[in-house]
Amino acid sequence: MKNIYFWKNFIEKVKKDFKGLDFEIVAMENSSELTRFAKSYIHQNVAETDLSITFKVINQNKVGVVKVNSFDETVISEGIKRAIGLSKIVPELDYQYCLVKPQNYKAKSKSSFYEKTANFTPLNRAQQISKLVKKVNKKEYEASGAFETGMETMMVANSEGVFAFDRKTKVNFNSIITKDNSTAHHSFISSNIDHLDIEGISDELLDTALRNVDQVEIEPGIYTVILSPEAAAEILSEAGYVGFDGKLIMEGKSFISGKQGKKLFPKSITISDDPDEKCTIPIPFDFIGYPRNKIELIKDGVIIDGVYDYLTALKYNRRCTGNTLPPENASMGALPFNLVMKGGEYSSEDMVSNTKNGIYINRFHYVNVLNPMSIELTGMTRDGTFLIENGKITRAIKNMRFNVSVVDLLKGVDMISRERKTKAGLVGPVVAPYLRTNNFTFSSKTSF
Amino acid sequence: MKKILKNILDYLDPKTDYADVRFVETDNENIEVENGVLSSYNVSTDRGVGIRVLVNGSWGFAASNNLEKGSLQETAAKALDIAQASALVKKENIKLAPVEKHIANYVTPIIKNPFKISSTEKIELLIKATESMLKDKVKKSEGLLSFYKTHKIFVSTEGSEIEQTVFESGGGIVAYAIGEEDFQKRSYPSSFGGDHATYGYEFIEKMKLKENAERIAGEANELLSAPLAPTGTMDIVLGGSQLALQVHESCGHPVELDRVLGKEISFAGGSFLTLDKLNNFIYGSPGVTIVADATAPGGLGTFGYDDEGVPARKSYLVNKGKFVGYLMSREDAFKLDLKSNGAARAENWNRIPLVRMTNINLLPGNLEFDELIGDIKQGLYLDFNKSWSIDDKRLNFQFSTELAREIKNGKLGKIYKNAVYQGITPEFWLSCDGIGKKKYWHIWGVPNCGKGQPGQTMHVGHGTSPARFRNIKVGASK
Repeated sequence: MKNIYFWKNFIEKVKKDFKGLDFEIVAMENSSELTRFAKSYIHQNVAETDLSITFKVINQNKVGVVKVNSFDETVISEGIKRAIGLSKIVPELDYQYCLVKPQNYKAKSKSSFYEKTANFTPLNRAQQISKLVKKVNKKEYEASGAFETGMETMMVANSEGVFAFDRKTKVNFNSIITKDNSTAHHSFISSNIDHLDIEGISDELLDTALRNVDQVEIEPGIYTVILSPEAAAEILSEAGYVGFDGKLIMEGKSFISGKQGKKLFPKSITISDDPDEKCTIPIPFDFIGYPRNKIELIKDGVIIDGVYDYLTALKYNRRCTGNTLPPENASMGALPFNLVMKGGEYSSEDMVSNTKNGIYINRFHYVNVLNPMSIELTGMTRDGTFLIENGKITRAIKNMRFNVSVVDLLKGVDMISRERKTKAGLVGPVVAPYLRTNNFTFSSKTSF
Repeated sequence: MKKILKNILDYLDPKTDYADVRFVETDNENIEVENGVLSSYNVSTDRGVGIRVLVNGSWGFAASNNLEKGSLQETAAKALDIAQASALVKKENIKLAPVEKHIANYVTPIIKNPFKISSTEKIELLIKATESMLKDKVKKSEGLLSFYKTHKIFVSTEGSEIEQTVFESGGGIVAYAIGEEDFQKRSYPSSFGGDHATYGYEFIEKMKLKENAERIAGEANELLSAPLAPTGTMDIVLGGSQLALQVHESCGHPVELDRVLGKEISFAGGSFLTLDKLNNFIYGSPGVTIVADATAPGGLGTFGYDDEGVPARKSYLVNKGKFVGYLMSREDAFKLDLKSNGAARAENWNRIPLVRMTNINLLPGNLEFDELIGDIKQGLYLDFNKSWSIDDKRLNFQFSTELAREIKNGKLGKIYKNAVYQGITPEFWLSCDGIGKKKYWHIWGVPNCGKGQPGQTMHVGHGTSPARFRNIKVGASK
């Protein structure tokens, strides 16, 4: 993987190829390895090294973008030539483009690069998987999942002097254990391999799976539910995708459009995009080199605003919030990079013991948006859905389909846990607590 | 390049049970226009090599964008290391179903190379189409064109040497009618990026985007003030575009043998079509015949050879309602003592081949469209997907569509918005009692099928004509 000095030299070297035109360069280098296991054996085991360098040329308010994946000098110079060529033939933008000026980047709140993670080997991963397999096999369960380790670098520069560089390591471990219809799921995300606790994960999986047996069928209807952080994170991610994108807000296609400043939710609901949150993996700048700071999305139940990419900000005269996506995704607008939901005052045990009749949801499957304006979502429960009766988790239930508006779901939240967990999101991770809501609609059921 | 790949094989051959090496180079051009203004014009070139080895019955795979000799040697050595690590958690030796050696060259037959059509012509097409949609409440319009040229070289220790060049062209337009608390969209010719095929630019010309723009915008406007779709149980007719996704989710995925064998359980899920059901399960009504056909002209899942060097072919999945076949790789076919039917596909050089759809086609029936709706007293015509979701065994599904039209006394009536329908896969296909004629049949390109870890997006096709389903639960999203 190339370091900061390589990229500084690279920019100096290719500058002349742009023939005095304004330019932006976004580069990402990736070295990832992933071991996949199913039915307690490793069935897929892969490694890749890849690179993307995107050259964007701005020529009299016309933009040409070319992406290559090689350091080969001919490929680089041809790529820049093609970008210049494109910038001559495409129509002008309908707003005035200007490059980002040089920025100050504060130090990240915590490191996200760990040598031990970067050097974790296929054998190391296999050894960890072996521990899980042995432990669950003793209880006659089979283990399946994926274990990824790797590192990434990101560099953004432009002809105005912007230069931003970051590197990070990654650990993604997700697993399911199964025996007939008894299943359990766990996911883990971090930069630091030392935080992966296979023994703890194995115990948690077995604890859930051993309770997730003899599932009973319940009828569709409106229920009080407690969402695990995994389930809550998925709901928040979808909300981030269709609700908080500044471009959709400006086009009148988001539930936020025209509602900034209005109190829609209980006071306990506070959601932000926060790279400084201690539980997240910080993304310090966006794909145009804008530094990222905490952005309030919903504060004490009041809608503040969404996140804005640089192009939408220029077009609609808004402030870029440091959420610009890679050039090939520019037309999408913006997404939150480090979604964080503020914790509440309860323990997850309190939440269960204070629920007379309800359902605990461990995980969702195949969530999709039904209606973007209300963020009505549909999806299935999976890998551990339980009935709560008189303050206790009593029985496992068969999987159900839900049709729920996130707006209504958040309006119905009356308990939030102190404890929060970090889960994978669409761009960066999502930090989410347990949530109890009184307004959750199951629309149909399954046979398992 | 082929010589370099064969040199890697020479190094790997004595160290492995089996090895294959794939070089893939992809040129992509993506043009997006919003409200008559170009919003992005991105071109990219991507290339690299993937090396897959089977050592003592365990897989290893390593891939690199660096094509220098030393780097490729390191990548090959990495694949060997990985295979050794895989063996630490192993149950039995992986074996492959046999395949004949092939020395071959395949090129997609096209009339107009999309990369040789001027940028100005492509941009102008989208500008005109999207400008003409901006009427009444249509405040936002989008147009997209996308082209791929993928050059692949595959060599294996079994002696195959296969070179392929696959062209893809696709695109579409979308109109958004935006109100105070709601917006409605209409897409043409299909939703989520339009329609795509292994044809040249002639495919784009046949779409007639400009000619359909105003009609689509009119429907979006109409939808904005339309009533919500009714709730209840009624007969429905699905248009070809929506039926393509229905086939995709409720047949294409559950017949993937790797899912059935539990290899995708931790991510995408399993399948209700368990091994005991093969040739022993009624999947749908007698009119329902579904094939996997990677040879169908123009299908987005059409190619010469899959990424294990197995020739493209047509095989039956459901025959006259009976479940008769899976989509298979060589490894999975071996477990059933069968041969692969050429369905192992990799997204790119940096991904391993997985069991993937090719063109999963519902064969046409014998009804005119008027006959399909003709004996429905009260029902809905639904088309153009808006949302999809299905459980992890592919049984309980729910789809919503952009467009719903009332069917009353055998005639199409008023327009409804936010229609949703739900069902259980085999019950749904058993309720199918009419399929449109060949003249309505079209292979829809679906360029966004996701599977695997690390994720792979596959381009697949689905041949459908409109079809009728009885007593389906319908409703409306809020």
